[in-house]
Amino acid sequence: MSSSTVRARRALALGPGLAALGAILALVAFASITLGSRDIGLSDVLRALFGLDGDGSIEHTVTVDMRVPRTLLGIGVGAGLGVAGAVLQGVTRNPLADTGIMGVNSGAAAFVVLAITVLGVRGVGVYIWFAFAGAILATLLVYAIASLGREGATPVKLALAGAAVTAGMGSLTTGIVMTNVDALNELRFWQVGSLAGRYAPILSGVAPFLIVGLVASLACGRALNGLALGEDTARGLGQRVGLTRAAAFAIVAVLAGAATAACGPIVFVGLIVPHLARFICGPDYRWILPYSMLLSPIVLLLADIVGRVVARPGELQVGVVLGVLGAPVFIGIVRYGRLSEA
Amino acid sequence: MRIWRPIVAAAVLSLTLAACGSTDTPAATPTSAGPWQFTNGNGEVVKADKTPTRIIAHAGEAAALMSFGIKPVGVYADESVKTDPNLKDLDLTGIEILGEEWGKIDVEKAASLRPDLIVGDWWPAEKAHSGLEEGVDEKSKKLKELAPVVGVSQGKSIVDLAEGYEKLAVSLGAKVDAPEIAASKKKFSDAVEAFKTAVASKPNLTVLAMSPADDKVYVANPEYAPELLDFQKWGLKVVNPDKPDPGFPYWENLSWENADKYQPDLILWDGRSYTATANAEWGKKQPTWFAIKAAKAGAVASWPAYWLHTYGHFAAELDKLTTAIKAAGENVGS
Repeated sequence: MSSSTVRARRALALGPGLAALGAILALVAFASITLGSRDIGLSDVLRALFGLDGDGSIEHTVTVDMRVPRTLLGIGVGAGLGVAGAVLQGVTRNPLADTGIMGVNSGAAAFVVLAITVLGVRGVGVYIWFAFAGAILATLLVYAIASLGREGATPVKLALAGAAVTAGMGSLTTGIVMTNVDALNELRFWQVGSLAGRYAPILSGVAPFLIVGLVASLACGRALNGLALGEDTARGLGQRVGLTRAAAFAIVAVLAGAATAACGPIVFVGLIVPHLARFICGPDYRWILPYSMLLSPIVLLLADIVGRVVARPGELQVGVVLGVLGAPVFIGIVRYGRLSEA
Repeated sequence: MRIWRPIVAAAVLSLTLAACGSTDTPAATPTSAGPWQFTNGNGEVVKADKTPTRIIAHAGEAAALMSFGIKPVGVYADESVKTDPNLKDLDLTGIEILGEEWGKIDVEKAASLRPDLIVGDWWPAEKAHSGLEEGVDEKSKKLKELAPVVGVSQGKSIVDLAEGYEKLAVSLGAKVDAPEIAASKKKFSDAVEAFKTAVASKPNLTVLAMSPADDKVYVANPEYAPELLDFQKWGLKVVNPDKPDPGFPYWENLSWENADKYQPDLILWDGRSYTATANAEWGKKQPTWFAIKAAKAGAVASWPAYWLHTYGHFAAELDKLTTAIKAAGENVGS
């Protein structure tokens, strides 16, 4: 059997696989609405969802006003982080690229503490916009620094610029919170990475950005495939490498910025899920991107559900759960899987 | 800051899971017998050759000593001394300020004061003195190397705490028979009587001490909040949460989904975050806050959380609570 038939067979299986993932995501989302730190019977959940109960009951409030927005946010943020990670790994040709090392988290955190100390802003609903601005600014700064010089934003220069901007923003944040305990308290809540305590206003605030970014990312698959062959080859194939890079970075900035602003820095999703997707799909970004888009929310919501049920009547933040569960999984991938080069 | 201590310290703990292992041995006890000695909050007897005179004290402990006429040479607070509830009304001229943030103490400056005694509450749950707890900067913890550390235990009662610091002040040479000290004590015992009377007239009233936060709701465990134990002793039904956080038993943590787990008639709101508009703000921000009937009814009062040290402050706070209890309804939460 020639390798091209293998590839064709694989592509044939990938379409239904995507549909299956969509079904799994729907199941997980349903579980995320029915399971939580509060015990609500399935019938109560269904009645609340279909508006059959009165508006006033606590079961209705928890289901409709808390779990539904939380689940939708988990889907949007998860998809955003996964796709941003996949695009970033593709465009930088760095299998360890993650939105964190491109300065997104540190930029967002720096702007949150600046907003708190300089402008006296309070409450997660307001400072997500500062976090968003900070994330975008940091990403653009990384890209601009890396673009200096004749050869443009090469993967190595991007990684170095990302590290430098992260360090700079990080020390700014540390400097402020060392002298301002209010900022520390506010940042503490934001910095863990959580889907809790965020409701409809935050969801509707970031949703447009996530949707635009996700749709735009799906158009990038072919260009990323070209870049994966190396810049010279990509150029030889007639691709405008600089333009591709800039567009990819804009998508990463919007997706990761919105996701991080809404929920704080959530680790591992953007790093691991693209590897899982690549493991399933092979090197074709036209498949890796949609697979990442569905796999990531599944992972994020599952971790969130775990966090909600293990510490009743309290909750564990999803960022903590992902950190604890994600590290061994990642080690497993590195150790036993074939960590294919992006 | 003592203020946020039960919350901040929890966060610091959870973020630095591996930071355990520091040996929290209280200050070395001088072995030579001497004319001064004091039984520390952890039960150990601390002795010195001569009575200490150059004292560095933590915020509330300093306020307690000063109420008996013992002026420390330095204080370390958990927030700005202009807003610290213990210190804000005191004349601090001539006293070095060694810290205005929880966990941060300028030990170099402290050393230059040549202290012969450090005074900080003993926290039985953490087995450490104020300023030397888990989560405090390692550099700041070197404070304990400057002089013996003593403090009264944050145990079962603010009254015990106030009496303990009176004893410490006496051992340090204070004259506690001054008329203003007697007047302050009288004011306190009057406030207690008024509180008891108000409570007795509302036998079915239940209260819950709470601190809402963005990610969860904290419910105070009276066992580790001496002022709440005092309220219980004086007849007030302060609800005991049934599942305090085993790692940080000051609180039971409730997810926002479970915010209405308890239904008290009156909410005692953590005084460190209480404002006149806080209840309405949280009601708007968190869909389930008003599922607590008392919150919906606006039955909230400020709770002086974890800072009281003196008869005077306790009397003033008790008077406020007495007013709130008189105005409270017994069937709000049922």
